[in-house]
Amino acid sequence: MITMTIVYGFINSAILVVAALGFNITFGISGVANFAHGALYIAAGFLTYLCLTELHFPYWIAAPAAVIITGALAAVIYRVVLLRVRGLVVSEVIATFAIGLAILELFRFLGFVGFEFTLPVFVDASVPLGNTLVDAQRLLVVASGIVLTVFLWLFTHYTKTGLAFRGIAQDERTALTLGINADRVAALSMAFGGAYAAVAALVILPLGTIAVNEGYDVMINSLAVCIMGGLGSTGGLIAASFLIGYGQIITATYLGTHWTMIVSLVAILIILIVKPSGLFGHQKELEERT
Amino acid sequence: MLEVKNLMVFYENAIGVNELSMEIRSGQIVGVIGSNSAGKTSLMNTISGLIHDMRIKERRKGGVRITVMGQILFEGQDISNMPPHIRAQHGIVLCRERHPIFPDSTVDENLKIAGHLRNREEIKHGMDMGFNLFPNLARWRKRKAGFLSGGEQQMLAIAMAMIVGPKLMLLDEPLLGLSPAMQSQLVKALKAIRRETGVTLVIAEQFARPLLPMLDFAYVIENGMLTLTGSGPELMENPEIKSAYFGV
Repeated sequence: MITMTIVYGFINSAILVVAALGFNITFGISGVANFAHGALYIAAGFLTYLCLTELHFPYWIAAPAAVIITGALAAVIYRVVLLRVRGLVVSEVIATFAIGLAILELFRFLGFVGFEFTLPVFVDASVPLGNTLVDAQRLLVVASGIVLTVFLWLFTHYTKTGLAFRGIAQDERTALTLGINADRVAALSMAFGGAYAAVAALVILPLGTIAVNEGYDVMINSLAVCIMGGLGSTGGLIAASFLIGYGQIITATYLGTHWTMIVSLVAILIILIVKPSGLFGHQKELEERT
Repeated sequence: MLEVKNLMVFYENAIGVNELSMEIRSGQIVGVIGSNSAGKTSLMNTISGLIHDMRIKERRKGGVRITVMGQILFEGQDISNMPPHIRAQHGIVLCRERHPIFPDSTVDENLKIAGHLRNREEIKHGMDMGFNLFPNLARWRKRKAGFLSGGEQQMLAIAMAMIVGPKLMLLDEPLLGLSPAMQSQLVKALKAIRRETGVTLVIAEQFARPLLPMLDFAYVIENGMLTLTGSGPELMENPEIKSAYFGV
């Protein structure tokens, strides 16, 4: 039982990291809390499903197409809607939440409800870890978490666009005076966040079905780990993912699976009472946003 | 190179710059001298285009209504409505007041971020030039810029502005909060920048004494209005300047 809790707690934590990275990137760079993140995640899942089943694309075309389209959709959301309300925190939240709601409920309205909506697993095998058997797809999620985090670090430290991301995140006005187009970079960060949501969908959704409600759960979990870790902090996100991830698995094991969602909500409440800036966050930066 | 014609800047009904005209020739070091609230920063922000960005953001928020009137010509082109990042691409680079750096990034990273418009070789060349101008910075290349002293942060900010490849560099109160020793080091560096690169410098400053000797021309502004003009050495002999800025 303990080995299983440790193994599945680790995997669950990795799932939270992968699912929340896109939300964190967008907030860290553009300052926009993208409440449509969960909807983009589900949209990527359904897009891949449609490409595979209706358009009969091979997986190696369907998956990248879903990532690109989701990223482009996020950029369009920024250019068409968020650009007009940028800097108005409440308006940003309302706008992204409404867009997310519209996307998710549109899928429900169009009849995307049921157990037939699934994505294929990459490797159909199981690996024994101690006395616990783990399917390869779950290990792939862990590997994806590591790859996505390392890629993000390399991207933001060694590429011109990544460095511009960090410049805008720290001081937009200074970045503007240096010739960096802040709106373009913010739109790119939204696209990047959307693409990360799509990659997360591709590796996580094969573990179950593509369900509209999953979009809400992903959003709540992403919000919980980002708030707990400190909005915009990748290190904080990873630490919070492990705290909440293990918390969920221990709760599921000893109290019942229907209590797991409570863990995220309780985590948000506790961190907002004890340390509102999050474990690794900079409250000052949030206050100074203009 | 730069011509400002009848510039007026209003924040709601308060006037920031009032009917100000000026002309800056290529290769000059020009001073904009004035006390606090004289309109120096408004002028710098307007020439660099930052006010354009501020105006859009304030309008979105329903905040302070910023109105800009008049004309700004750069190399004969009207840039009055050009966004700041495009002005930077044209060679107008502002080094804002109070050390405009990226505090959570290292010195090297700050310089690389500043090289957004340049290629890898140009960035390397710019970094070498920055470390030659400010040898202190070379010691702290891997240190987060937020941990540098105020003077070092100002040096970094100027080195960053230089990497952009400016034709016209605007410096807003570069001496603010610096020790006299650091001020003279910075003044030397600014002279070296003009000598070695031919970049035109416009320096807005209230600490006029260390700057005046090197100014080819200076504009003294008060309450957003031009009150006096002349070369640096001329102004140094002016009794009004002596009493207002040197306390003599």
